[in-house]
Amino acid sequence: MSNGVHEIEDAALLFVFGYNGADSHPIVARRIVRAKQKGATIICCDPRRIETARIADMHLQLRNGSNLALVNSLAQVIIEEGLTDDKFIEEHSSGFEEFKELVRVNYTPERVSAVTQIAPEDIRRAARLYATSGRSMILYGMGVCQFAQAVNVVKGLANLAIMTGNFGRWGVGIGPVRGQNNVQGACDMGALPNSYPGYQNVTVPEIQAKFEKAWGVKLPNKAGIALTQVPHYVLHEPEEKKIRCYYVFGEDPAQSDPDLPEVREALSKIDLVILQDIYMNKTGQYADVLLPSTGWNEHDGVFSCCDRGFQRIRKLVDPPADADVLTDWDIISRISTAMGYPMKYNNTEEIWNEVISLCPGFIGATYEKLEKYGNIQWPCRSADMSDKGTSFLHKDGKFANADGRARFSSIEWQKPTELENDEFPIILSTVREVGHYSVRTMSGNCRLLRNLEDEPGWVQMNPELCSDLGVRHGELVKVLSKRGHCIARCLPTERVKKQAVYMTYQWWIGACNELTIASLDPISNTPEYKYCACRVEKIDDQAWAEQYVLDEYVKIRESMGIDVRGNKRGEAA
Amino acid sequence: MAVKDIVSTCAYCGAGCQIKFTVDQDRNKILEAVPAPGRTNDGTLCLKGHYGWDYINDPQILTRRLKRPMIRKNGKGSPLEPVSWDEAVGYVSGRLMDIKAKWGPDSIMCTGSARGPGNEANYVMQKFARAAVGTNNVDHCARI
Ligand code: SF4
Repeated sequence: MSNGVHEIEDAALLFVFGYNGADSHPIVARRIVRAKQKGATIICCDPRRIETARIADMHLQLRNGSNLALVNSLAQVIIEEGLTDDKFIEEHSSGFEEFKELVRVNYTPERVSAVTQIAPEDIRRAARLYATSGRSMILYGMGVCQFAQAVNVVKGLANLAIMTGNFGRWGVGIGPVRGQNNVQGACDMGALPNSYPGYQNVTVPEIQAKFEKAWGVKLPNKAGIALTQVPHYVLHEPEEKKIRCYYVFGEDPAQSDPDLPEVREALSKIDLVILQDIYMNKTGQYADVLLPSTGWNEHDGVFSCCDRGFQRIRKLVDPPADADVLTDWDIISRISTAMGYPMKYNNTEEIWNEVISLCPGFIGATYEKLEKYGNIQWPCRSADMSDKGTSFLHKDGKFANADGRARFSSIEWQKPTELENDEFPIILSTVREVGHYSVRTMSGNCRLLRNLEDEPGWVQMNPELCSDLGVRHGELVKVLSKRGHCIARCLPTERVKKQAVYMTYQWWIGACNELTIASLDPISNTPEYKYCACRVEKIDDQAWAEQYVLDEYVKIRESMGIDVRGNKRGEAA
Repeated sequence: MAVKDIVSTCAYCGAGCQIKFTVDQDRNKILEAVPAPGRTNDGTLCLKGHYGWDYINDPQILTRRLKRPMIRKNGKGSPLEPVSWDEAVGYVSGRLMDIKAKWGPDSIMCTGSARGPGNEANYVMQKFARAAVGTNNVDHCARI
């Protein structure tokens, strides 16, 4: 996020785009409520009537997959009505003229209303509110990121903030509110195919030289491939380019990735699959090696929260007495050493000191300061105790580009990859559920949390769609796409429109990723989880379906090594 | 009984709420989790923050805790068998070196983890991929 979570409540206007705070980040959602109480205007932009929509002053219930059409149209209105911050544009940006030309004719609210399903007057009103509040902040989430056109929508949102001067001050900016707890941290640490820790590009010779010196070894200068490209590299590339080994660490691609049938095929064809994790999971069933590690609360370290805040995690307990597990960094260091590249660390602080010594933006965030202040938002460029980090970026309109200016991006809206058709007439979009987290190996194993919901999970459907199909609340239904099918429970809700249904991805039996499409954003390689074509079918024999769910559940848990029938506990296999 | 309060960061979403855990160190058990004052959470937690630590007790609900290294000794399709750490590390490093020698470093893909392991483990993993294996094929599930 360009701004801090604590600044949200001080915005005069919050533009919440494709972000369902109540389900994804309840505590961030509370800040939105607090902003409202302090008098902020809230505009919610989401195809579902989510919680935020209820407290919003305006809900733009756009059609799924029309994000950039709407964003460009908002810009069109702001320009047309002379609401731009010309001084900011002139002093701190480039590319405005070209952008103006792009949106002028093709993105009038009238032109886009067929695509967005939003009345032109509503687009105008929202644009005016955003441009004139004086302190507008944009928050966006997976409803923006999980499309084949994603990065360009983010750039489109940035256009809005630049043209209205909503950058570089308290309570403005644009904030991706990221899903998993340490996505920010994994990026910060360079678990990315194109950058070293601290967002230092692997293809820049001086940076490469710096890391070669620090690590004492020659380094590759070509960017790597993205996780989501692995199935392709296994199944469709020529022999000499294929992926042969997949070292999976704390993730579960066989549950969380799109188009699971394809993922399974790829996993079964890779020569060596290594899974390093705390629990058995779906990917583990394809693993040739399992490396058991310590879990959260059993080791020390640092997490980065969604607004660039470094915070300590601390070891609370030892792993169970009968578990022969090691910390993740210890396991990797041992393998590295055995391969002839010795790594040896005694504790996480030693590792952290190496990290910050290599990253100018992190160098001041020492364990000592984290201990003392609790939370340091990078950049923190000085080890001096007075540097407590940076709440908001782009102060005084300075941007990270070489010329210090923000760049307008002129990009056309593009249709989603797989549109509805006669065979699959409904949109399937995947969403999150409060109470559970990602693939559930953590939250699903917590006694109090698993009671909230259980297999096979729900499919949210408009009541009219339910009555067309003759299905009722709680009934099991079959959901199908070109790629696969699964069974889930019908949840009629007015919150969703008739054209789309919504499922959460943590379920094994109601596994919506059996259906989703592996169509990737060309820049971020994020899959289009928010849009593919599907069909929902009534199941006449409900007794059979209920029994099927029970049987499958037992089967899967057994395959995960759980003693379901009271037999002797075996090893996970 | 040595009961201690320790503050840590929630591992269930990017809000980064601060949690005060009460830990019985003699019995190696977490007793309770309550909100701690943090910049982002401001003294509150959601359900996951309050109850999400129970997974560590391995309550055998969905999947089981992995407790020792395991290898399919007789190749794909054969059962996973428990081995010592030395054997596991020897096996993994040997096979990685073979694959690297035969197909080059870019035939190996590593992942970071956006979940519980923390920043240091991610740093070590990407350093391993780049310096020990010799590839930039390292990524994590930010996209998911
Ligand atoms: S307590 Fe809830 S809102 Fe806070 S970090 Fe944990 S999951 Fe997120």
